[in-house]
Amino acid sequence: MQPSGKMDPAVKALLGEYPGHSAYDEIFNEERQPRAHWQTLLEDFAQLGPDMLSSRFEEAQNLLHENGVTFNPYEDDPGQLRSWQLDTMPWVISTEQWQDLEAGLKQRSRLLEHLLDDLYGERRTIHEGLLPPELVFTHPGFLFAAADAPSQLERPLLIFHGTDVIRDQYGRWQVLADWTQSPSGAGYALENRITLARALPSIYRDAPIKRLAGFLQAQHRCLASLANTQREQPNIVLLSPGPGSAGYFEHAWLANYMNFALVEGDDLVVRDGQVAMRTLGGLMQVDVIVRQINDPWCDPLELRADSLLGVPGLLQAARNGEVRIANALGAGVLEHPALSAFLPRLCRHFLGEDLILPCRETLWCGDAGSIDTINRSMDDWLLRDIARPGKVLRPDQMGLDALTDLRADLIRRPHMFTAQRLLDSAVTAGFNPQSKALERQHTTLRFFSLVEPDDLKKPVSERNFRIMPGGLAWVGEPGAPLLQSRTVKDVWVLAPVPQPHISLLRQAQGPIVVTRDGKDLPCRVAESLFWMGRYGERLDTRSRLLREALARLLQEDRHESGSNVLPDLLTALDISLDANETDREPVPPLGYGRFNRDYLATRDRLLQLFADDQPDGLPVLFGHFVRNSRAVRDHLGDDTWRAINSMRQRFNTISRTRGMVAGQRHLEAMMIDLSAFFGLCNETMPHHYGWRFLDIGRFIERALGSLELLKLALLTASQPGIPLWEVVLSTTDNLTVYRRRYRSQLHPSAILDLLLFDETNPRSIGYMLKRLGRQIEKLLSPGSSPYRNLETRLVIQATSTLHLVDIDKLTDLERSAEARKALTELLDGLIGPMAELSNAISHSHFSHVETPRQLVTVQYNLT
Amino acid sequence: MRYHLRHTTRYEYSGSVTLSHNEARILPRSLPWQLCDNTSLVISPQPERLRERTDFFGNRVVYFSIESLHESLQVDVNSDIQTLPRPMPSQDFFSSIAWEDAVREMRQDTIQSNRDSLDARLYVLDSPFIHAHRNLADLAIASFGSGRSLIDAVFELNQRIYQEFTYDSESTTIATPLREVLANRRGVCQDFAHLAIGCLRSLGLAARYVSGYMETMPPEGQQKLVGADATHAWVAVFIPGWGWLEIDPTNGCLPDERYVILGWGRDFADVTPLKGVMTGGGEHTLTVAVDVMPIHDEPVGGLLVNV
Repeated sequence: MQPSGKMDPAVKALLGEYPGHSAYDEIFNEERQPRAHWQTLLEDFAQLGPDMLSSRFEEAQNLLHENGVTFNPYEDDPGQLRSWQLDTMPWVISTEQWQDLEAGLKQRSRLLEHLLDDLYGERRTIHEGLLPPELVFTHPGFLFAAADAPSQLERPLLIFHGTDVIRDQYGRWQVLADWTQSPSGAGYALENRITLARALPSIYRDAPIKRLAGFLQAQHRCLASLANTQREQPNIVLLSPGPGSAGYFEHAWLANYMNFALVEGDDLVVRDGQVAMRTLGGLMQVDVIVRQINDPWCDPLELRADSLLGVPGLLQAARNGEVRIANALGAGVLEHPALSAFLPRLCRHFLGEDLILPCRETLWCGDAGSIDTINRSMDDWLLRDIARPGKVLRPDQMGLDALTDLRADLIRRPHMFTAQRLLDSAVTAGFNPQSKALERQHTTLRFFSLVEPDDLKKPVSERNFRIMPGGLAWVGEPGAPLLQSRTVKDVWVLAPVPQPHISLLRQAQGPIVVTRDGKDLPCRVAESLFWMGRYGERLDTRSRLLREALARLLQEDRHESGSNVLPDLLTALDISLDANETDREPVPPLGYGRFNRDYLATRDRLLQLFADDQPDGLPVLFGHFVRNSRAVRDHLGDDTWRAINSMRQRFNTISRTRGMVAGQRHLEAMMIDLSAFFGLCNETMPHHYGWRFLDIGRFIERALGSLELLKLALLTASQPGIPLWEVVLSTTDNLTVYRRRYRSQLHPSAILDLLLFDETNPRSIGYMLKRLGRQIEKLLSPGSSPYRNLETRLVIQATSTLHLVDIDKLTDLERSAEARKALTELLDGLIGPMAELSNAISHSHFSHVETPRQLVTVQYNLT
Repeated sequence: MRYHLRHTTRYEYSGSVTLSHNEARILPRSLPWQLCDNTSLVISPQPERLRERTDFFGNRVVYFSIESLHESLQVDVNSDIQTLPRPMPSQDFFSSIAWEDAVREMRQDTIQSNRDSLDARLYVLDSPFIHAHRNLADLAIASFGSGRSLIDAVFELNQRIYQEFTYDSESTTIATPLREVLANRRGVCQDFAHLAIGCLRSLGLAARYVSGYMETMPPEGQQKLVGADATHAWVAVFIPGWGWLEIDPTNGCLPDERYVILGWGRDFADVTPLKGVMTGGGEHTLTVAVDVMPIHDEPVGGLLVNV
């Protein structure tokens, strides 16, 4: 099929080979004319021209990337980094098509809510034979623990619902799957919309696209009114499995957007029957949990005992109505793929209506005759085994042995299998930035529904749903998982009239004001921020030392100088050369001539610090930094996150560093990134508890690093003297300051003055102690003891040691053993309390949650 | 029969427990042939929270949490129980059902099936501890000849497990996999109950796990020792058109008035008497004492608080 008739040359150029297929096409009708709802859009896109579209495409990818949009659980792992592409061509639904689809989606949510209410209530569907018990009770999402008798249900169970839909090759909607625990993708849909609106401002502004903000507002309102509390500000948290999970980006994104605290299982505890969050200010009651953890893992007491993600006692708290969980625990049973085969019957039973949206053809293999039907044309079906969620069995791609096993398995436990007929989907257009023209795509769409906030208190039969007027589309064969797709698309639902323009979606949300950086900061977040500060600073210190070492090595290379600071620099970096390497030959006096064995060994060892798998290397340090940063994703500003992303990209290439000059360049760029990061934190983070912990971590690390370096340079170095002192000053970036101030040759006393005592110098210990003291003073003190806590005492101890030292005793370090002794005492007297300070902070502010243990160890599924 | 039931469970921890959430299925349920009076539950230390509910299977469940530091946990249950003869259908009725009929009943189209049979079908399915297996079916099939009456076959299987397997309290922990029980031919009541259930389910029959107690007799001429009884486990088989028939493969007999039922479920996992998740505690030691003391025409003594 090719478009016929007269066509704008720009449109023609944009189309390229498109459509060129025989299936239903989203853009062109059977007469090969653009469909009405695409007419204007197609011209608008063509108007931009291929080059502009291409650059807009790049712009969109950059925006996504900067925001760290990813589904990749291992994104910290350099080399594994993979982000989505966002197509600049949206998936467009006309007003009329939407009306039908929306009605079908609403009906489906209502139907599933009825079914869920029945399955955890009277179970009439089972007693009356409408649903086979073998289908329901074998699904891991059916929670016997949540199915009490008698039923205690009067509240809604299904708050959000995600539905996967395709348009098939004949143009009919077909439902592929339901997501009823914690449907993912709504956050991505929003992020896509924001991104596309920025990449295509004029098209976005002029097209009558239905806006998404209203839906998100309703979602917020819905969750807030779900709370069973008299308090004005219900505490809503988003419970995530943590940064290791595939959806963590979205969890953080949603928490941020909706202004919910992002928590993990360890952050919550059930006490006095209520769910509480461990915060700096103590336990804080939680009213509503938006859970992103699958049913069986939510409570190790009543559900899977081996779960480390859940909260012991959660189900009981929910049962008593002390906390509301969205969606209710047990809702996962609705994700059973075989339910599709029963929905038409159930729809008439519950709603007295015919099912509007057809499901893809589905057979439950436990039904008599199903297996015969499948055996007649096995290649037309795909099979799912509910004991292996997510696993798809494709007989058409199986070997003979595997097929024989499958057939035997089907006979042995037919009720565990669901067969779905293979489908072909319609075709839509995507923009290909290489060919700069449109290309054919098969897509799956996900839509989201939400129970009407005003219907929360109504009985189940009167509860209605609203559908987000948009969604998420991804490219792939029908039913291919979202996670495996490489390209996503924004879904545009057209309105009959232009929609009021909302310039910034994020600001459009009227958030309920909850101060989250105050006392209610989760302890885990405070801890991650603290360690972020420490690792970030450590990375900085190490990078500076490494840069010096590389510079010295390069100098040695050019003109063999008399003094050799490299061995001491290696000590400062805490690395040693392989003893065997150096012992084999006597060390030549000037050591590091080019191609000399030691020169090469040192170079290789230094460059090793760029390698991914080197335990003391920079990538490993950065890994710690990023892991902590991901755990506090919702506390960092967008620009701050951009700085982290820029470092992440750098670390993707840094491990391939082969040359010393390239290494130096990387290090310098990274130091700038790190300062940008810390600078942005200072500029954008509210100067509240969270920021204080970051700062404390950073300055404890810096103080320890500086003190160790001073000790090395002035006391323990193998070759002390001016070259090494120079290194100290340039590592702390104080060389210029020194020159300007003292205008003299380097002298130990002047260095001590600058780096220890001068409180106006941010690189001096005096300044650091002052800053730490100020920060610690403002932390919440657990308990209300009239005495100073350990942290404060340690800072006072270090400060007095510094203030009380007799400076005269420290002069003449090079000749006087007494002066060296005095300095040793001073430095050790500072290092001790600083090292202890870290533990003290950790002890009094971070929750040290022991992993809860089972009273009786029960191992399941051993037979 | 009238009994005074006493069941004490005590955990001693090597370290302090700071918080524990627990679930106890330790209160006997009332049944047409089992009347429970003056049931009391005493937990020490005093729980901050205690809630009773009825679970999916109709068992009594008590959730409790202890939120102050504690080094031990003791749960005492006392109850006065009267057991009556269990209902038994006529021999004619029993012999009229071939075991294959019962299997067919469990596989019938749900729309045509009756409520009792539909309810029983849950107990044909695999459960956390019990997975149908060919080896289990092979063990069972020797007693399930073609066309044999369901009852005869079940009784024979019950007897065979009793005779062919050795009771050995040392041989098993809570989590013995069925294939080990099959291989070693030894176990405790829980294993034999799981084994019988596994055999029956592997043939397509419905069977459930019953947890409770039985009165034991002291050796001839001796006084019964206090705390000498134990928790016990047996099996109930679904007989279509009639109901659930209990068998005890550990003793090769049919439970009678000497058996007291706590509750039932698909397997041990559904009726674990006491489970909990705690923070802290270190190592622990467990002591359990059970008494099923017959009461002979004496008035019930003491006023006990009902839970």
